[in-house]
Amino acid sequence: MDDEHTAEYTVPCAQCSAVDWGISDEGRFYCRSCHNVIERTREVVDLSFLKLSSRVSTIRGPRKKQAERGHVWMVCEGFQFILKNQADALLALGVHPQFKDDVLCPLWRCYLQKSRQAYTHDPVRSCKFRVGAVGSDLESASEGISCTDGESNPASTAGSNTENSGFWSGSSDTLTYLSARKKRSQSLLSMKKTLSLIYLALVWSREALTLSDLLRLVNEGHIPYLNAYEQLPEEMKVTGKDSLIFVVETVPSHHAVHKEAETLIQFLQLPAFPPISQQTLLHPALLSLRYLSDVNLPDELHPWVCRLLEHTGMMDQTLHTFDPHNHPTLPRYDVQAAALIIVTLKLFFCLDDMTEWHLSNDLGRQKDSGKVFNLRRWYKVMQAALIRAQERRDQNVSRKQWKSKKQIYPNKKEKCSMIKKKRIAEQVQLCFEKLTSCPSGLQDVGPSSFIFCWGDEEESDGPSLHHMKLDEVVTRRYDFLTPLNDMYWHPALRRCLCYNSHYKEVEATLPRSFIWLLQLFAFMLDVKPFCLYEEVLSVERRIFDTRLYRGKSKANAGASAETAGASPEAQASLNTRTSPRRTRTSPRTAEASVGTRASHRKRQRSRKS
Amino acid sequence: MDDLERELEPHIDLENDSDSSEDNSSKGEKKSKFPLVKPIYGDQTQQNGFRRTTSMCRERIREAMLHHRWEEAAEYMVYYPQILEDRNLFTAQPSKEFIWRTATEIFHHHPNSTMEDYNTIYERMKHSGFRHYLMISLEHSFHLLLHQQIEDAKRHLASAESWRHGKETAAQIQNIKLIQAYRGLLDYIIWCDKKSTRSSSDYYESDSNQTMQNYFRQASVNLEEILKNPGVWDCFILRYVEMLEFYEHHKEALQVLNDYAYDSNFPPNPNAHVYLYQYLKRQGASEKRLMKVLKVLHALVPSHELMLEYSSLLLQSEKQSDTQKALGVVLEMLDFNCWGSNLEVWIRLKAVIQKLQNQVDWENIVCEKMAERKDWWLALHLTSFHATKDSKENPELFEVKASLTKILFPDRPLKYSVNGSQVKGKAETKKRKGRRY
Repeated sequence: MDDEHTAEYTVPCAQCSAVDWGISDEGRFYCRSCHNVIERTREVVDLSFLKLSSRVSTIRGPRKKQAERGHVWMVCEGFQFILKNQADALLALGVHPQFKDDVLCPLWRCYLQKSRQAYTHDPVRSCKFRVGAVGSDLESASEGISCTDGESNPASTAGSNTENSGFWSGSSDTLTYLSARKKRSQSLLSMKKTLSLIYLALVWSREALTLSDLLRLVNEGHIPYLNAYEQLPEEMKVTGKDSLIFVVETVPSHHAVHKEAETLIQFLQLPAFPPISQQTLLHPALLSLRYLSDVNLPDELHPWVCRLLEHTGMMDQTLHTFDPHNHPTLPRYDVQAAALIIVTLKLFFCLDDMTEWHLSNDLGRQKDSGKVFNLRRWYKVMQAALIRAQERRDQNVSRKQWKSKKQIYPNKKEKCSMIKKKRIAEQVQLCFEKLTSCPSGLQDVGPSSFIFCWGDEEESDGPSLHHMKLDEVVTRRYDFLTPLNDMYWHPALRRCLCYNSHYKEVEATLPRSFIWLLQLFAFMLDVKPFCLYEEVLSVERRIFDTRLYRGKSKANAGASAETAGASPEAQASLNTRTSPRRTRTSPRTAEASVGTRASHRKRQRSRKS
Repeated sequence: MDDLERELEPHIDLENDSDSSEDNSSKGEKKSKFPLVKPIYGDQTQQNGFRRTTSMCRERIREAMLHHRWEEAAEYMVYYPQILEDRNLFTAQPSKEFIWRTATEIFHHHPNSTMEDYNTIYERMKHSGFRHYLMISLEHSFHLLLHQQIEDAKRHLASAESWRHGKETAAQIQNIKLIQAYRGLLDYIIWCDKKSTRSSSDYYESDSNQTMQNYFRQASVNLEEILKNPGVWDCFILRYVEMLEFYEHHKEALQVLNDYAYDSNFPPNPNAHVYLYQYLKRQGASEKRLMKVLKVLHALVPSHELMLEYSSLLLQSEKQSDTQKALGVVLEMLDFNCWGSNLEVWIRLKAVIQKLQNQVDWENIVCEKMAERKDWWLALHLTSFHATKDSKENPELFEVKASLTKILFPDRPLKYSVNGSQVKGKAETKKRKGRRY
């Protein structure tokens, strides 16, 4: 009985932080869990006064406030606001203004239409909720983003029928979103999808932001994603089941967003993207330059990366542009560029745990070694910086505050306990903050495209090696400049039938310096090393065996014929045979040459003497 | 998430060990009790970002604590409590205990921590869920006790005692008993205080007498209650008996001690018999009664130091069989290495044998007792090494032992002699030579 009086009083108990109020016989509020009596009393409506005195008209109890619901709104409106905020954040970071109005907005409209949420005669919605004036409501839902300062006019005409149902949520069509069947069939929006939509728009507008950049900005909080619902306008109350849609507890991985983006392309049936030509920053030719300078490699390496690009035919813009007919995959620009750098380094230094160190030793003996790029020196500088950066990132991860100050309560029952938990967590936190006198929250780091900082400044990660010369590792042969090193190794390039990466299995057999390089770039891009490894393999396939790469379907068919009927064990053994194989770098001799290592050693020794 | 469970399991285990034996039987098999090894972060693909943050944060706290970097641990503790807001009760529940235990540990070492911090954490975590309420109350009062806030500690225990939540689980019942016990103990402490102040002032002051009586009554209610439960209540029963003795409730004291010692529901506890013996001795009970208690103790702990008294009691008795028993008792004591170089025991052995020599067939008796010890006693007590050591450190012991060797081992060549030291010296040099090659 007390509940109706105490329900609205949700201040946690000062003593035990519980929110469980009862009313004692004297009408005073007490905490049911610790029996603490507080000042607050129940105001009694005494009707007897009414008759006695005309002056006192009525003594009212606590005004029972109608639960403030604000406007009735649709989930897609919420997402629209979130997308708008994300786009605004990107604009503030320097993305071209066209991105929002000319790319993201049409994409969003296209999405709304394809998912039958707006611009359609047959809107998707659960049968339980018939929103009064569907048409106008959905119109307004899609209007918001159409102007740059887009303040939408959310659903004023929609009937407020949420009140009648027992279902508790702020938005009016949460249930549609939550029914699993619809989710699967309609590809309705989720927080993850906002990121992939933004990503697609970025690629479309050919911005210099890669997916890993986007995710890094999200992780560092420069783009609203975590607790993005906090920035919704006040009239849009996010409550109840909305939490299942808007509350996120993780930032999706590179892999997941990329996959989502690809399905989104399929779903939206997008036409060919604007071409990613050599001049665009997403093209590996320019992107690799950025990564080269980020990992402190000499600028002179860039022409070599470009030569590699040319040689593998990857300069061609069609390879980097999504086209539903000619090139129906969305390339991972960042991973590809990193893979190209790795392959270039392998061409120069072999990276077999031997050659690169021998080369560095030779360099170390020379007089003017100060100006010449030395892999050992680079490794030392880089490794130290990598460890520091890793520690920094780990520290930031372990200090990240995930829970927002503004909570969404999934249902009324849990509301009290959640308020209590929040309060306890805050108090414990406060206690330690006082003790350590350190400010809570992450230290704000300015957004940057670069992870490392090289140069002579105090905060830099180490001395800059950008101007180092490659003179000592290249040689002139047949009037061509070629790398001094003429060894190259690669793992078995044949594609495996299964889609899983075999990186885990072969990792132990790969040279350590190669693994280290993979880890370095994987850390920079925040992807798993196996993604990068697969990308390196595909670049190598292009170099060595064009047949394997181009005749992909053929090779696959052959492999399937080979392993048809084989037991899983047999397949596994097939996979583990992918031990590193050595070949000459000369692309004209595509076959693997065996036993070059000994001869190479001999040559080196003779050079030394 | 799995990682979290893995790490917190031992904590739960600890609690179960002390709290509920029932839960243990079901869970005990799958849990290892080995100390924690550094958990591997495992598959982070399956973790979400929030879990990853909290588990990394916890890892860092642990690391900092292991290296005694308390400030750093406290810094990370700022970020950890967000795990309490985790909607998944499975992870939130054990983390409560983690926060409570780590927080108090950090406060304990942190230079800037205050009593208030402790109280905040104890109070907050106490009320964060019902499962740990009693445990935390108990520890809170321990902490207050450490800071001489006996009255506060008592207040906390009292409120915990009256606390009930839902169906009483086994763990709750156990904890309530503990709380009762410690409340009784606190009453005793206050009673002791009163006693000491009273003895200095007027003896017949009825006021303080009255309050003392009150505390005695409160304490005895609790203590009497818990002593009915099978268990090891050593420190409680001593206080209880002390108070009973003070008020000359001898019958009850004896009853309590007897129950404690002889009730078969209780786990075998040598101390119970020791306390009973000490009480009886204080009361001047007959030798026969004392011997009866010691006999039981002898069966439980043959190496107990009270066995010296037992043997002397046996020696004093008139019966011949008692002398033989005394021989057995002393020999059994000497079976334990800890008594090997104790002069008193060897003297007692000599005394027993001397008394035994009055009997006709004493040699047979000694032989019989020594039969099973023949093989290893020489190595245990009577080597040349022992001889040199004893003669150097305790010549008196050496003499006693030397005089006994012939009697104990009439037909054996003995190395326990002063000459032995020379033999040993040679052996030593031989060894040294051997090492040189």
